[in-house]
Amino acid sequence: MALIELIKVTKIYDDNALPVRAVDEVDLKIEPGEFTAIVGPSGSGKTTLLNVIGGLDKPTSGTIIINGTDISTYKTDAMINFRLQNIGFVFQAYNLIPVFTAKENVEFIMLLQGVPKEEREKKAIELLESVDLGDKINNKPTELSGGQQQRVAVARALASKPSFVLADEPTANLDSVTANNLLDIMEKLNKDNQMTFVFSTHDARVIKRAHRVVTLRDGAIESDEIKDKAMANA
Amino acid sequence: MLLALAWKNIWRNKKRSLIILVAITLGLWAGLFSVAIMIGSWDTTVNSTIDRNLSHIQIHTKEFKDESLISFFIPNGNKIANEIIDLKEVRDVSARVLIEGMASSPSSSRGVNIFGIDPDREKNVTTIADYVVEGEYFNGIKRNPILVGQKLADRLGLKLHSKIVLSFQSVDTTLTYAAFRIVGIYKTESSPFDEAHVFVRKSDLYKTMNSQPIINEIAIRLNSSEDLDSTYAILKENYSSLYVESWKELAPELSMMYEYLIIEMEIFLAIILAALLFGITNTMLMSVLDRVREFGVLMAVGMKRVKVFSLIMIETIILSLFGGIIGMALGTFTIWYFSDKGIDLSIFSEGLSAWGMPTILYPILPLYFYGVLTIMIVITGILGAIYPSIKTIKLRPADAIRTYG
Repeated sequence: MALIELIKVTKIYDDNALPVRAVDEVDLKIEPGEFTAIVGPSGSGKTTLLNVIGGLDKPTSGTIIINGTDISTYKTDAMINFRLQNIGFVFQAYNLIPVFTAKENVEFIMLLQGVPKEEREKKAIELLESVDLGDKINNKPTELSGGQQQRVAVARALASKPSFVLADEPTANLDSVTANNLLDIMEKLNKDNQMTFVFSTHDARVIKRAHRVVTLRDGAIESDEIKDKAMANA
Repeated sequence: MLLALAWKNIWRNKKRSLIILVAITLGLWAGLFSVAIMIGSWDTTVNSTIDRNLSHIQIHTKEFKDESLISFFIPNGNKIANEIIDLKEVRDVSARVLIEGMASSPSSSRGVNIFGIDPDREKNVTTIADYVVEGEYFNGIKRNPILVGQKLADRLGLKLHSKIVLSFQSVDTTLTYAAFRIVGIYKTESSPFDEAHVFVRKSDLYKTMNSQPIINEIAIRLNSSEDLDSTYAILKENYSSLYVESWKELAPELSMMYEYLIIEMEIFLAIILAALLFGITNTMLMSVLDRVREFGVLMAVGMKRVKVFSLIMIETIILSLFGGIIGMALGTFTIWYFSDKGIDLSIFSEGLSAWGMPTILYPILPLYFYGVLTIMIVITGILGAIYPSIKTIKLRPADAIRTYG
């Protein structure tokens, strides 16, 4: 059973006079443990597709099945709860809570899940250590570099023990060294923990490391290339 | 952690939070102090009217209430007065003779209310003795002493020890003239009262009229104003043939003034709270709009809308409570300070005196009012936060995350 399955998913934005078909009848299956990049030029629908997979946006038509559950018809609060239990997010602009320390940012997700204090503190420290930020647990986002903030965001995304992580342009704001460093960590998490990562990106560094590259054009899948079949199906 | 997040959010923009805190503090302080001044002013006026001449309860005959003639005296008035003194709630009683007459000096004359009193008993019922500014309270002149108000003395061109002639209708309806000598001049906070009331010994009036010791009015002073309603009920029952009135009926304008005061207070507080409501809504809206992306992320990662709503509510309640507590402390201190020292309004003494109001004002505020205002402030805070909260939970995470600001 595929971890993520999209059947004829379409998303049309009709807020303006001219409706925009951002995602056009996309059929896509992503298996557990994949390290997949969704690529394409600006306006091709990468972010919209990621939002639809993550339940941040509702599809206009089609079906989205995550772990065997059809989430296309979920109401807002049910969707929020589903995201909390199943999906980790990494955003382009890090989006950490500025008033919280690195540890508190990671802990917060577990608090929403109702994890007891001691357990979530221990887990938050472990996660921050796994992204090489063991010495920055009490630093606030403003006291961290962009790369460090994005690593906290990765730790936060993993805190809820999600089925997969959606990363929207995670390296767009980072320099080469920092981006590679972040990708090393994500690759390691993918390899060691079988954590599924789905990226929306046009960063060559991410595309180079991805095991599978799905290319979008005008909202539709133009190509679906599996570079490393063994890794992609791992 | 929700509380911790709310607390930290409040202080992320210190200037904005301090502005709303100061607004709430000043609003509450101003509200408390103004209401205390209003109630204090009413209370001082009432007390001063009761102290000056009204007393807590008065008894007359029904005929006297219709037409203030000396001939409508209270049958067995002195006996009734002595019975009333025995009530444990009663401090003392002044059995008075009341006559409407004319006071004349060599230069002018004025219509006056002549109070025939027992000076010693009157001292226990009213504070007229304390208002004597010249001469002495029925001391120094043996024959027909009279106490007149400063305003009347000025109008008639009289001084201490001057002679004044009172003319009035006697019990047997004959017109009586009697000369009195001014033993003291009093000055109360009410110039209309000073102009229209003179006090003489009732024994002198009996002698002048060659009358029995009759009385027209029994003025009753209670030990505590809290006993008013119960004592009033007892007297009303015991002396049903007579006209028993509490100060509320004797001076209906004061009771009415209290009702107006309550309406004024409600309008005043409504204005303060409405201003606060808009202030809080505006501040919270700015605060929320500054954090659109953050709320988008919170909802994206799994924070339920009810928790987002609660977060904004908690932030507002904390701000309102803090402002409320500081405002309450400031208000309490200010009221406490001035309730002891008083607010000197002597600069407006002439105007206040025309309305019978004292020139020193003592603000007071019933204890329950502090609680009521605190609850109202918190409710205002909650109401003020509703719109920003609803606006926030209506955000679509996908759009909110892409907002920059």
